[in-house]
Amino acid sequence: MKNKVKDLALDGVLRQNPTLKLVLGTCPTLALTTAAMNGVGMGLAVTFVLMCSNVIISSLRNIIPSRVRIPAYILIIATFVTIVRMFLNKFAPTIATAMGPYLPLIVVNCIILGRAEAFASKNPVLDSMFDGIFMGLGFMLAITLMGAFREILGAGAIFGVKLWDFKIEFFTHASGALFTYAIFIALFTYFSGLYSKKSKQKTLQKDKKEVEA
Amino acid sequence: MGKLVISNTPHIKSKSSTKRIMIDVLIALLPAFVMGIVYFGWYALLLCAISLITCILAEVVYLLIVGEKIKDIIRKFDFTSAVTGLLLGMNLPPECPWYLPIIGGIFGIVVVKMLFGGTGKNFVNPAITARIFLVLSFASFMTMWGEPSIGALFPLDSGATSGATSGATALGPILQGSSQMSNLDLFLGTGVGASAIGETCKVALILGYIYLVIRKVIDFKYPLIYVGVTGLMMVIYQGNINAFLPSILSGALIFAAIFMATDYVTTPNTTLGNIVYFALLGILTATLRHLRGTESVSFCILFMNFFVPLIDRHIVPKPFGFKKAKKEVKDGK
Repeated sequence: MKNKVKDLALDGVLRQNPTLKLVLGTCPTLALTTAAMNGVGMGLAVTFVLMCSNVIISSLRNIIPSRVRIPAYILIIATFVTIVRMFLNKFAPTIATAMGPYLPLIVVNCIILGRAEAFASKNPVLDSMFDGIFMGLGFMLAITLMGAFREILGAGAIFGVKLWDFKIEFFTHASGALFTYAIFIALFTYFSGLYSKKSKQKTLQKDKKEVEA
Repeated sequence: MGKLVISNTPHIKSKSSTKRIMIDVLIALLPAFVMGIVYFGWYALLLCAISLITCILAEVVYLLIVGEKIKDIIRKFDFTSAVTGLLLGMNLPPECPWYLPIIGGIFGIVVVKMLFGGTGKNFVNPAITARIFLVLSFASFMTMWGEPSIGALFPLDSGATSGATSGATALGPILQGSSQMSNLDLFLGTGVGASAIGETCKVALILGYIYLVIRKVIDFKYPLIYVGVTGLMMVIYQGNINAFLPSILSGALIFAAIFMATDYVTTPNTTLGNIVYFALLGILTATLRHLRGTESVSFCILFMNFFVPLIDRHIVPKPFGFKKAKKEVKDGK
């Protein structure tokens, strides 16, 4: 079980990072990364919805007929999105307004539907819950980092704390969002390539040692 | 009879190379560069120098990081980054802060050119894109129009400050048809607010154009098509034949038409394709200028750069000796 959780964590955050590797959920990524705080808020909201919907879908996976599964998934996801919306409107209205239309749009976020279709509908409940948590964390990490990058360069601040007066406004525009996204995907692919090479070498050495032994 | 030499194609070689062409472009830029400094003073020279050095250094450092040897870099150095640097410097407003050319140069060379594969593989013009990057990033600095004066280089009285005004360019009144500028002033660039160091003196620009045409670096038709179509469209939009000269003489149109739009990499391959490209560029420039009331040459060139692959795809050069297949075979006489 421990190994499985570790595997799911690595998948969610690194090997199958939903934003940087699978390129899912690009709408909120491009629109909300103007500030690091938006990333945290959106990431938490998506993680919560993803975890809950994964659990429900996974526990209902043998009941839902496969022909109507997509409407059923959407219904389940929409329920949790509504809960999140009501919660945020009541207790954190500033975050809710900052996220604007992207909060209700979590319903059609590809990450959630994608995980429901690819993972939760085939795996047991506990695994699906961990998958939801780590996928959400991977998404949150990616958009928070991108938000920090854009906030530092575009507004000279981080998490709303002002650092300096110098700012390159390009990074606050939509073009800056696409540019940042491209840079992050490139860097992520480069470093994950290095990582997979290393791990391959390690397994090769292990195999060799085993053969020698 | 001499010995029969058997060699592979190509058999005819010319001395033309990227290096030679780029040096020609640099020489052609010189008159406008000198006039820019005469009008705007030493600070303009400093800006151009910073931009030039940044661009060359950015290319060298990028190649070093990628793993090229310093010997190869020097041997392969083809002056394209120098042209980009000088063009970017001449594209800047004469009063902008010194760090703008550094940021723009690094963006233009590293992101636009080197990441896409280096010289000849960039799909948009690096200098134009760097300028647009700066316009989007530092709008307040990039729309500061410098007031040129002959005495800028050696000011007689130390109290004379340069008259940088914001937003008031020669183009605004012209686009509204209420300009007081004489065509001669526009042509010489005296007393006209300018958004770029290099765009003022049209005589110097035309000198560079003639040099490039004589050296066969650019075709004489294309800048003429661009400038002509823009002027004609402005005449149509304003319904006034007198709008022709002021609209082509103001702003960065001539500078861009000669040096920026004619970049080999970002123009179509065929003559017909080029004519279509420059005509569309002219129509687009005039339309945007008319509708928005501001200078839009750089945005138009960047936009049209994206259409070059499309034009090349639909206007294909005819192979030598190629004939269209006839539908019916007639008995010839």
